[in-house]
Amino acid sequence: MYMSIPAQRLPGEGGTAAMSLRGLVKRFDARLAVSDLSLDVPAGSFYGLLGPNGAGKTTTLSMAVGLLRPDAGQALLLGYDVWQSPAEAKSLVGVLPDGVRMFDRLSGPELLAYHGLLRAMPAEVVDQRSRDLLDVLELGVDNRTLVVDYSAGMKKKIGLACALLHAPRLLVLDEPFEAVDPVSAALIRDILQRYVSGGGTVVFSSHVLEVVERLCSHVAIMSDGVLRMHGPLATIRGDRSLQDVFVQVVGGRVATGSELAWL
Amino acid sequence: MAVTPAPVSIWPFVRLKLRITRNGLRGRPARIAMFVLGAVTAGLLAIFGYAAFATPGLLDSARSAEVLFPFAGAALVFGWFLMPLLFFGIDDSLDPAQFALLPLARRTLLGGLAVAALIGLPALATLAATAGMVDTAARLGGPGAALAQLCGIVCGLLLCVAVSRAVTSAFATALRSRRARDLATILLAVVAASLGPAQLLLLGLLNQANWSSVELIAEVAGWTPVGAPYTVGLDVVAGRAWAVPVKLLIVLVSVGGLLWWWSRTLERAMAGAATAGSRRGSTATRSDGRGPVDQLLFRWSPRSRFGALMARETRYWWRETRRRAALITLAVAGVFLPLTSAFGSGGARGLAVVVGAIAPIGLANQFGYEGSAYATNLATGIPGRLEVHSRAAAHALFTVPLLLLVAVVTGLLAGGRPESIPAQFGTLLATYGVGLALVLPVSVRAAYALPDPTTPFALSSGGGLGKALPSLGAMVGAILGALPVLLAGGLLGPVWLWIGLPIGLAYGLAAYALGARLAGGLLDRRMPEVLAAVTAR
Repeated sequence: MYMSIPAQRLPGEGGTAAMSLRGLVKRFDARLAVSDLSLDVPAGSFYGLLGPNGAGKTTTLSMAVGLLRPDAGQALLLGYDVWQSPAEAKSLVGVLPDGVRMFDRLSGPELLAYHGLLRAMPAEVVDQRSRDLLDVLELGVDNRTLVVDYSAGMKKKIGLACALLHAPRLLVLDEPFEAVDPVSAALIRDILQRYVSGGGTVVFSSHVLEVVERLCSHVAIMSDGVLRMHGPLATIRGDRSLQDVFVQVVGGRVATGSELAWL
Repeated sequence: MAVTPAPVSIWPFVRLKLRITRNGLRGRPARIAMFVLGAVTAGLLAIFGYAAFATPGLLDSARSAEVLFPFAGAALVFGWFLMPLLFFGIDDSLDPAQFALLPLARRTLLGGLAVAALIGLPALATLAATAGMVDTAARLGGPGAALAQLCGIVCGLLLCVAVSRAVTSAFATALRSRRARDLATILLAVVAASLGPAQLLLLGLLNQANWSSVELIAEVAGWTPVGAPYTVGLDVVAGRAWAVPVKLLIVLVSVGGLLWWWSRTLERAMAGAATAGSRRGSTATRSDGRGPVDQLLFRWSPRSRFGALMARETRYWWRETRRRAALITLAVAGVFLPLTSAFGSGGARGLAVVVGAIAPIGLANQFGYEGSAYATNLATGIPGRLEVHSRAAAHALFTVPLLLLVAVVTGLLAGGRPESIPAQFGTLLATYGVGLALVLPVSVRAAYALPDPTTPFALSSGGGLGKALPSLGAMVGAILGALPVLLAGGLLGPVWLWIGLPIGLAYGLAAYALGARLAGGLLDRRMPEVLAAVTAR
């Protein structure tokens, strides 16, 4: 199984965070979606961004990769400001957005070729890597079905393939495990783990705690647009389960047994 | 143990419908304005309809009523037949699929949905308008005729509602698959595009028709289910009281048949909600050894970012149904506009120029077509100028051959002057270039989200006058901007036949270069804003 893995960290880059967010603010009409968020993602880490629905995870990641202009603050990807020098920053990053359509009237192979050529990669490399990715992710090298007709899980997989194609140094994945069947999820986990052990950095959002607990080296928890906690998984978790920490931080209620007694 | 569903009355449906209407309006001034506008329109239509239908009575002309009523009635029923097609997906508040999980007997559901449909504005307006027929029947034939006509219009309303509900439900089932929806969108575009030609054809036919054959058709229509309910009162007037029960029976049997069809499709519409995702599109696997890059690109495309962007855009003009619909409309208009004037006053050249100005309108909301998929280009950091050039190039790939066709049609048919074709083509190119120059910045500046293409008939919803205004302005501007070339064509005479093409081409290209430069720079500054604008909420 051939997979391109990014080159090891370049000399002179030591200590640079793979992603560095400084005081990000985003307001939608009157609602404060993200409020003064600062976060450093160390290079080589597997970083999980946790939060309940509507916490501002997608908004944060969209601002980080240059899809959404923040009202205030800075986003640095591998040392490049995504709003000041977008070309350099974006060329080093692979993105899997959530809730965003793909060019879904293309077939899977066509979509991959499109991404590769947009990244200004040579056609032979695009072909070679596309075949590998389609093969590994079991999407079919000669599958001419349009992406719009793919199942939800297949859409996630082709989106991930597009993000991986140019062998980025940093992967930003919004809900990569949503709607993915367990077999594919295991495959995606393997690929991501190998990517990180090869020197890449992954930032992904999720509300599935088990996945985060199993994969991540670092965790950040947000709710209501505020970063509540962040750091290495072991520090965050302490001697409790991540679930308990999460529910406590987010402020959810735990069933005591007295309510819904008729069930 | 299954719980026997308690008998549910139909009132909850009525209350549900009223509440949905009310909640839909809450705190949304635009919606309230739309609702008021709809109510006023319905009221005006009702008054106008009443007046129209009461006129034969006031004029004491049974003969005109006998022609008017069956045709108007048929038009009404046809309107009710079309209504769900036009508004399908806009009012899905009482979509049968929503009730799939509730323990409701089918009879209750049918009754409830039918009553809910009866209390809407369209039903009230229809009833009020057709009440004018009762007025006429009363004036012509006294209370007996009025009573018969009253029964008739009530049955007619039932027929209208049954038709529209049955069609809605049948469509909900038929349009589950994407392919069927795409096909419906294209068909609708073809129908819409051919309305103009059809209208002319109809006018021509009407000019030749004579009155007695119209009366004969009206009489026959009066015995069909669509005309029968509206002619019973006139039968009493004419002394054919025996026809009343027969016609009412015809209508009621039709209503019964429709309800039966509806109840069958309703079941499928409800069940389909759960199984819609299970049908997989045909996994077309053709192995011809071409790599992904060759699958995306055309043989002649450069293997670069520009090539990829343009190839994707070209495929989208064909594969995305709304774009293909726009192309079809343009093609029909392009061939039809010069043709109509060719047989008329001879202003074909002038009208042909309009085609050059209409053509760029397809790009006025070019970012809206693909919606949030633009995020891909944004995340890879495509420069604005490259984006604009590739999109215009893909559009020109379809449009320039069409313009050539228009020039040929105009030259051969309209003027009978084949030698004017190159100059005509040059004029069209100049107009197209100026139009592009105006439309491209508009497409960046005034991009807006189109509704999700899950409903083929929601083509125009969401595009109000305010959104259409910039592209209309661009169209007028294109003609004004190409005025120097048009004037030159008029003034230079025979020389123009030789230099028209190069001058038009150069003029169009220069205008396009300016516009693309402006649009590219604008896009560079506004990329995330464009993405936010075209993302459907």
